[in-house]
Amino acid sequence: MEAIKSALDFSDFPRTDMFIAGVVSVFLVCFPIFPHSSFAMATMIQFLMFSLYGMGWNTIGGYGGQVDLGKAQYVGIGAYTAAVMLTRWNVPFWVSMPMGMFFAVCWSFIIGYPLFRLKGHYFAIATIATSLVLKDLFEVWDFVGAARGLEISPIKYSPPDFLRLIFKQDVYYYYIILGFFFLGILYVNWFRKSRLGFQLRSIKDNEDVARSLGINVHWAKVKTYAIATAFVSMVGSFHACYIKNIEPEDTMSLDLSILIALMAMLGGAGSLWGPIIGAGVLIPMKSYLKEWLGARAGLVGIDLIIYAIIIMLVSAVEPRGIWGIVERVRGRKAR
Amino acid sequence: MSLLEVRNVSKYFGGLKANDNISFNLEKGELVGLIGPNGAGKTTLFNCISGLHPVSSGEIFFDGENITKLKAHEVARRGLARTFQVYAASGDLSVEENVMVGCFMRTRSRAIARARASEILRDLKLQALSHYLVSELPVAAQKKVTMATALGSEPKLLLLDEVAAGLNPNEIEEIMAAIGHVHRDLGITVMLIEHVMELVMKVSQRVIVLDYGKKIADGKPEAIARDPQVIRAYLGERFVREHVREAK
Amino acid sequence: MDILVSSLAAGLLIGMVLALVALGLTIIFGVMDIVNFAHGEFLMVGMYTGLLTAQSLRIDPLLTLPFAAIVGFVLGVICYVGFVKFLLRGPMVAQLLGTFGLMLFLRNLALLIFGSEDRALHHGLLVGKSFDIGMGVIIPATKLAAAGLSVAAFWAVWILMNRTKIGKALTATALNSQGARYMGIPTERMNALAWGIGGASVTIAGALIVNFWSVNPFIGLLFTMIAFAIVALGGFGSVPGAFFAGLVVGIITEIPGIWDFFTYTFNIRWMANVPMTSFKYMWVYLAYFIIMVVRPRGLFGWKR
Repeated sequence: MEAIKSALDFSDFPRTDMFIAGVVSVFLVCFPIFPHSSFAMATMIQFLMFSLYGMGWNTIGGYGGQVDLGKAQYVGIGAYTAAVMLTRWNVPFWVSMPMGMFFAVCWSFIIGYPLFRLKGHYFAIATIATSLVLKDLFEVWDFVGAARGLEISPIKYSPPDFLRLIFKQDVYYYYIILGFFFLGILYVNWFRKSRLGFQLRSIKDNEDVARSLGINVHWAKVKTYAIATAFVSMVGSFHACYIKNIEPEDTMSLDLSILIALMAMLGGAGSLWGPIIGAGVLIPMKSYLKEWLGARAGLVGIDLIIYAIIIMLVSAVEPRGIWGIVERVRGRKAR
Repeated sequence: MSLLEVRNVSKYFGGLKANDNISFNLEKGELVGLIGPNGAGKTTLFNCISGLHPVSSGEIFFDGENITKLKAHEVARRGLARTFQVYAASGDLSVEENVMVGCFMRTRSRAIARARASEILRDLKLQALSHYLVSELPVAAQKKVTMATALGSEPKLLLLDEVAAGLNPNEIEEIMAAIGHVHRDLGITVMLIEHVMELVMKVSQRVIVLDYGKKIADGKPEAIARDPQVIRAYLGERFVREHVREAK
Repeated sequence: MDILVSSLAAGLLIGMVLALVALGLTIIFGVMDIVNFAHGEFLMVGMYTGLLTAQSLRIDPLLTLPFAAIVGFVLGVICYVGFVKFLLRGPMVAQLLGTFGLMLFLRNLALLIFGSEDRALHHGLLVGKSFDIGMGVIIPATKLAAAGLSVAAFWAVWILMNRTKIGKALTATALNSQGARYMGIPTERMNALAWGIGGASVTIAGALIVNFWSVNPFIGLLFTMIAFAIVALGGFGSVPGAFFAGLVVGIITEIPGIWDFFTYTFNIRWMANVPMTSFKYMWVYLAYFIIMVVRPRGLFGWKR
């Protein structure tokens, strides 16, 4: 009970923030009513998915300060669990998604336990290494379709299929991921004020101080890493049902891991709204830049160049991201 | 039975003997000062006791239990809290939230932790500051917040590392009052590292002196102030030769 | 037997080149505690430099090394002065993502300019030639030359770091940058110099590698990871460590050949079924992971 109350309690944000958040929520709920292109719809779904990835990353990366550059491996585990279970045994999404989360969390314990003995750069690089190892394995593992990947063919099912999450119209996917999105916000809102959340923020600043306050630093990190993992794997399962065609190259690539971290960084790591703001800026920009520039002959890569310049500017000028700028203008703290 | 028993503790960093065969006891309810020139190994000793550094040799008993091999968070959970020379738990948490981090050691409930925290802040006369960030506060208040955070974990023994360093006389008065409150009213055993002599000599019931990693004296403040070995450690051989003998 | 010997020989030769790849990374890390994710992209720049100068000037690819070194030095210094300098003020997260942005930038710039296709050298004194050293072991001449020149370049940098005044100043900056500043060492310039030397040594390696490896804009990441593995094994910041670790990692990349040797020599059926060549680089990543967990300071670590 106390947890639910805490999750619904946004009272430490100023009124203007809550007003903006309310307007944005209403917009998100009403968005499908407005006339929109299917491209805009796809972009919105991407935005919601990446917001959730970012929120997951933010628990360990933002509040905990442990820069994780291997989140894609959990996207892969979630996506593959859902896809394999559906295509092979016809298991509905609502069963396979928790299973995927379970596998992902188990894997996160296996690698998280040794990994968190490392700090800083060493940790970040090691997360990349484990993610690439898993991707290499999936690329040769025939059971999951090796490098060809897996395809969920919608013909076999009769859409709309709410159990297996097979739809013809994107609007169904939109509302499902929107539901996850709101739940995600509530969860993170609870997390940042919870015992673990506080302990983690103390760890981020000074591990010795945290230790002498009775915090089992290693275990707190492993636990939070598992939470972040569950988030990411959940969205990964959704990704499989939505895209219907998954391969190691796009669900487990390093680029995806970086994008997730970047999104949270750009918006403001260690704040509730940061990942959402980051995704809200980057995802539309990325899709539209690609649409406008990438399609023209001879301009391949220019969207990513612009994107890289933004990363470089943010990291050099305001490492606390867009939220950092907002807070600096207001002269307040991160939340 | 002593609350804390340090038996022949040594700590080497490579060839450097930071602590060399140190032994002492702390009884329940004592207030003991730990002094010594810079580099004498005081903070290292705290780090060894609180489990942040493994000792090279020797044993440490707390409340009858051997805590030599325990990890820092396990030591803390047994009721041995400490402060650091740096500020409290987290720079981007407010004062109250910092203290709550300490309280969370004993409870999982946010409401209980918050109630405990505001109680402690009231006791230490910090309630007016509770919604500021620690990094926004002046040094004196930061030092008190580190104490409050440590108190949040409801310790039996509190190790204070230079809580008065860099403070003006008024602030030192305040800190002394706070230490007195912790010791007298809360009944917590206190050991403090301090360079501000007037503070140590005034509040401590007993003073332990380290020099070059060795314990060179242990006794009542008045006796320590007259101890030639201590004076030599602080003021140098020549000073002792020229002044102390004259005084005699 | 010949498979084993040629795998080991190939591993050692490539290892010498890889050591040079990692050298720049370890110098930069040693001097200012920053991990350069764009390191592999520097190598890619070196590869393109070698390829293009060799093709446009119609000279032997091995003669392009000075060009590559100049390009790498200038690139390194520009990156430091124009960008990395600002990252050093920020937290570690910013440094990681900042150099990652640099990596994306260089990679996609190359994509924009050169397109995504593989390019390889087809002419040159040594291209396509090889030595038969007996027992059926054949060593490509380009690899041998690249390994030799890598060792020479490595040795030159080592001399620079250890026997010259500038090298001593660099080492001083690495050990205690504040102290070095008080001693009158221009640490800011030393940092730029470290990036210059780091950049030059990796572009030289790139110009050597392009003799036997085709180049495309995406090749950098693989070498970044290899370089990380080497630096981790050798100890972050250790120059001699990088050399020996390079040899070890070189042999690790040849695990598929060694695997084949065991498979066919002892005729083990299940070993033949494992698609070992697709795992070629997985061993490098795995090695990195294991090294970091078992011995975070590396074999020769001297810092922290």
